[in-house]
Amino acid sequence: MKIIKNYLPLAMVMVMGLLMLGSYYVPHKLSVDYVEQMNKWENIVFAFAFLLGLLSLFVSHYGKIRRRQDGWGYSIFVFVGFLIMVVPSLISGGKQMVDGQVTGLGWSFRYVYNALSATMFAVLAFYIVSTAYRSFRIKSAQAFVLFVAAFILILGKVPLGQMAWESVLGWTGYGIDRVIEWIMSVPAVAGKRGIMIGIAIGAIVTSLKIIFGIERQYMGKD
Amino acid sequence: MAKTKTLAVLIAFFLAAGAASAAPKAGKTASVPAIAGFTADDMPYDAGNALLLRWPDGQYAADTVYRVFLSTAEAGGWVQADEFKAADRSAKAIPLPFWAWEPLPGELAVKLEIGALVGELKSGSDVKVKVAAFEKDKLIAESLAVTAQIRGNWFRLDRLNNLILLTVVVIAFFWAVSHAKRKGLFIRRIAGLDAIDEAIGRSTEMGKPIYYVPGIGQMSTISTIASTFILGEVAKKVASYDSQIKVPHYDPVVMTVAKEVVKQSYLEAGRPDSYREDLNFFVSHDQFSYAASVDGMISREKPAAIFFMGYFMAESLLLAEVGSTTGAIQIAGTDVEHQLPFFFTACDYTLIGEELYAAGAYLSKEPMLVSALKVQDLGKLVVMVSVAIGGLLVAVGAKLQWDNLVQVIMTLFKAY
Repeated sequence: MKIIKNYLPLAMVMVMGLLMLGSYYVPHKLSVDYVEQMNKWENIVFAFAFLLGLLSLFVSHYGKIRRRQDGWGYSIFVFVGFLIMVVPSLISGGKQMVDGQVTGLGWSFRYVYNALSATMFAVLAFYIVSTAYRSFRIKSAQAFVLFVAAFILILGKVPLGQMAWESVLGWTGYGIDRVIEWIMSVPAVAGKRGIMIGIAIGAIVTSLKIIFGIERQYMGKD
Repeated sequence: MAKTKTLAVLIAFFLAAGAASAAPKAGKTASVPAIAGFTADDMPYDAGNALLLRWPDGQYAADTVYRVFLSTAEAGGWVQADEFKAADRSAKAIPLPFWAWEPLPGELAVKLEIGALVGELKSGSDVKVKVAAFEKDKLIAESLAVTAQIRGNWFRLDRLNNLILLTVVVIAFFWAVSHAKRKGLFIRRIAGLDAIDEAIGRSTEMGKPIYYVPGIGQMSTISTIASTFILGEVAKKVASYDSQIKVPHYDPVVMTVAKEVVKQSYLEAGRPDSYREDLNFFVSHDQFSYAASVDGMISREKPAAIFFMGYFMAESLLLAEVGSTTGAIQIAGTDVEHQLPFFFTACDYTLIGEELYAAGAYLSKEPMLVSALKVQDLGKLVVMVSVAIGGLLVAVGAKLQWDNLVQVIMTLFKAY
């Protein structure tokens, strides 16, 4: 029993992981086919897991409605929304357009789904403003550097800022475009690359921990 | 009738003439000079879908146009595979490092991808190929047709630098892991992770739930894997404090794994009775639907602490900003570097990139896991030393015009 529960999954993870790692160095068609096959398997597993997810969603919201939990009214919209998309999809055979005419599914996509998605994305603009306001409160030396860099970038993007820069600092010979270019291509890139190098090394070590069974929390410990 | 016949003959004549100008036949080489030294071989270190064509450069003017034709037994007939000016290609353009392939001086070399032209060929298939030179659309020279055998290779020698680096990392990894058994290792403080206890304690005192948001990554994403490790440790603390955790999911596979992890954590904390199946729940597999739904839950329930750990894109700010307005302690961590600024500004603590990977080990304090962090440090040390020495050598080489040295160093650190 211990072999099936502990050693077999670990062995499978190790073999699959090493094969996947090896495929990076083996260009042969067998290796390419293996990677493609694994991707197909992943999609199949995902399809079945999606059913589980759907079940979890329905059970969770049905429970809220049944128990009249706070905000249970919102849970009704989960089922309403599901039906709004699924029923037209079944009627129109999954097609959004038939003979140049928009089907019920197409209508739902255009006027319900897309509209709602665009609304959510648009909200981001307001959040960026409020976040920028918060980050511009100078509480430390680092925050001051961030403020100065951001202020110069904002200044350079508007004609009024460019004019102000020219009239005040034009005598230095450094146009605001050059300053912005330097900020974006030197300190910003240096910081970004530092983070990316750390991420890459961390990802390699995390992968090794999983492949060689050092990290096995996903399996449980008993 | 005679008129129709004449018309058919004329059409046939023009078709034949057109075909002849588009793909000169091998047998026609007697009328035009031959391109000497033309060879075709299997492209080394590939899956078996490209050829390497080579011939001496400088035989014709720089604006001479070369057309490459190929023929296979399956396709039959000649197909034009490539067209380029002599000046546009050189042997140096072949994407192979110096240890894998050395271009000869005065040689023109072309990598010819044939997969898209003739479909997938079996390893060992013969491909006939020839090259013709044109000046202002006039055929001026043509090579003899040569036969090359394509085959899939078993090793990417061009990735040898990568393999050596990986080998070093693996050796260091095993050394660090075995070293862990003998004595403990120092690990620097990570403020964001130290704040986890504070966040969970606060939620327990306030009697409010903790939200753990694992982002929109799939289970194959490294940051999502790291997130499940952190979730395990957070859930263990939540269970021991007898607090409440909620984990909304974007990906059903991640949800399945997270369920196991949380269940195990409750068991380890000695609170299996407190575990409920609905602690992990699926929300939506659509980015903005997920963000909207989680935002709604956060706004209504006003949790005491929110963790954003994993892979995030545009929804990072949508989630963190809403969480910030509710007054929750927010701890975020992601390896998507362009989302980090949003977390910095909207969250109380942010784990930057590699700290996310280190978090599981940091929280669990298991010697083997903690020691693996030393490999990350060693890797960073190697990178720092390489950047310093490499940068210095390239600068000196460029100043003294030692082009070969510069080329060697640049190639050593290039990904193929």
